[in-house]
Amino acid sequence: MKKLDKTLIIGIGNNTRQDDGLGWCFLDNLEKEGFNSDNLLYKYQLMVEDAELIGDYNTVIFIDACKTDIEAGFKVEQLFPAEQVTFSTHAVPPNQILNLCETIYNKKPKAYVVKIQGFNWNIKIGLGEKATLNLNNSFAYFKNKFLIQHFK
Amino acid sequence: MNKKKIIIEPVTRVEGHGKVTIKMDENGKVEDAFLHIVEFRGFEKFIQGHPYWEAPVLVQRLCGICPVSHHLAAAKAIDQLVGVDPEKLTPTATKLRRLLHYGQVFQSHSLHFFYLASPDILFGINAPAEKRNIVTVASSNKELAKKGILMRKFGQEIIKALAGKKIHGILAVPGGVHKTFTKEEKEYFLDGKQIPNVDTMIAWSKEVIDFMKNYHTENAAWIDNFASYPSNHLGLVDKETGALELYDGRLRSVDFEGNELLNIEDIEYRYHFKEAVEPWSYLKFPYMTKYGREKGWNRVGPLARLNTCSHITTPFAEIERQIFKAYTQNKPNNMTMHTHWARLIEMLHCAELIKELLLDDDLMGTDLVSKGTPRNKGIGIIEAPRGTLIHEYHTDDKGLITKCNLIVSTTHNNEAMNRGVRAVANEVLSEKPEITEPMLNQVEIAIRAYDPCLSCATHALGQMPLIVQLEDHQGNLIDEKIR
Repeated sequence: MKKLDKTLIIGIGNNTRQDDGLGWCFLDNLEKEGFNSDNLLYKYQLMVEDAELIGDYNTVIFIDACKTDIEAGFKVEQLFPAEQVTFSTHAVPPNQILNLCETIYNKKPKAYVVKIQGFNWNIKIGLGEKATLNLNNSFAYFKNKFLIQHFK
Repeated sequence: MNKKKIIIEPVTRVEGHGKVTIKMDENGKVEDAFLHIVEFRGFEKFIQGHPYWEAPVLVQRLCGICPVSHHLAAAKAIDQLVGVDPEKLTPTATKLRRLLHYGQVFQSHSLHFFYLASPDILFGINAPAEKRNIVTVASSNKELAKKGILMRKFGQEIIKALAGKKIHGILAVPGGVHKTFTKEEKEYFLDGKQIPNVDTMIAWSKEVIDFMKNYHTENAAWIDNFASYPSNHLGLVDKETGALELYDGRLRSVDFEGNELLNIEDIEYRYHFKEAVEPWSYLKFPYMTKYGREKGWNRVGPLARLNTCSHITTPFAEIERQIFKAYTQNKPNNMTMHTHWARLIEMLHCAELIKELLLDDDLMGTDLVSKGTPRNKGIGIIEAPRGTLIHEYHTDDKGLITKCNLIVSTTHNNEAMNRGVRAVANEVLSEKPEITEPMLNQVEIAIRAYDPCLSCATHALGQMPLIVQLEDHQGNLIDEKIR
């Protein structure tokens, strides 16, 4: 079993809304590759109590579908506690969770987000063709480059 | 001055998406105001043709915040399809479902107060927008924020223990439940070794109520008057005693002075309610048939429930209810912002109920499912965190759903929220030389008091800006703000 010690990978989304399931599919792939499922967390949305949870880890990686155009179809970015809070908080963005974690628990895990571009959001199970391609490309990059760069 | 239209879209810090349009006339006076519900989910149609036993699993996908409420309302209806009325469920099944329900209400109420309402309450309605958020609450009151998170987590852990996961889990099956509770699971919530225990939840709930009462004492003028207006109130009450009831009871409605308008078996609702439609909203407007569209609408939710019940069965919450009622001389409370106060009393009530159940050995029983003679119609009504929730299903002889009607809490509150928006818009926006962000926020505060759930299922990065648009009387965009 492949383990990422003290690393939590959170897939955010809803697999009954087509490409919104990208985050979950990414975790499915990790599990198929033999990564320890205890480190994988499926979430419909981030909520305030996740601020406490992520404080227990050294590194947190958020995987989420993205609506905005990304040239390569996916993007991996390092995240920092939010300097400015968004105005919509019913689903809490990752950097706000980091901010809450630091503010309340004085903990600051290293954090990244993998944004994967999706295209279809209707009530239906299953990714579209373009989203699947983006998923495969992002997963290959994550496994072959990102993990090697950051965890070796 | 041209007529102009102000659009606030989406409403921030409510569950889902909504849009507020405020129409101004030539003189800058508010002409009208609407809360549009622009999401259409279509679950009533979508579920037709599915086997009845799928309903409790499928319909909870309506929402990522209160799926347990939909799961249980559907389960109560499906019980009837297999010939099992609520009183025929085994004690273990009833108590496990109730525990799940109280965990849901507890976590939802704590989430609402700490996450959605506290920024407005702690910093005031005129505070700058960048200050009114949970991170600033956490910075200025770390202990309050920490407790809020742990209270929400406690309720979520109850749900996870019973339904397998925190969102979209499964406990109920037709005629009962599919799993019992173990001694270890009970101890997890009682011993306080891994998470703060249920006694701590009761103590913290009392502290938060004290906080709210102190806040009210210092800010009575705006808390009492903000978006206040008379209305009817609807909620479930205990079938025999009239006490506050969240899982199964009679439907009772009172008017703004406390006169009883309705007191019926819940399954008779269809004979007493109709739903009106408006062209500008997907959300219907329910009303009591006898009193008509204009006079027959109700508020539902914590404030309405405390107005319709005779008492609360748990001791600490009952003390707080009496204090709450004394403020209005035992008459119904029509002050919208007191909904927050009522919500906290219910939170305390749920914590006490959870403790009662955790100490009850019936929770560990093994008699989980009852059987009866199948029927073709089932109606399930519960009090969800946001108010009365109605599920009705009809099936053919093969058990396939042929018809479904859902009246969710936010639908009951549709008229009330629109009245609130109009009241505030008239108060704060009319004839003002400048429309400021705090003014717009006050409109949103009036809506947030109801904690509306406008259905949230898709959350992808890049969504959810707040867009404020100004349009003239011809619909031309004359200003836009994105924050």
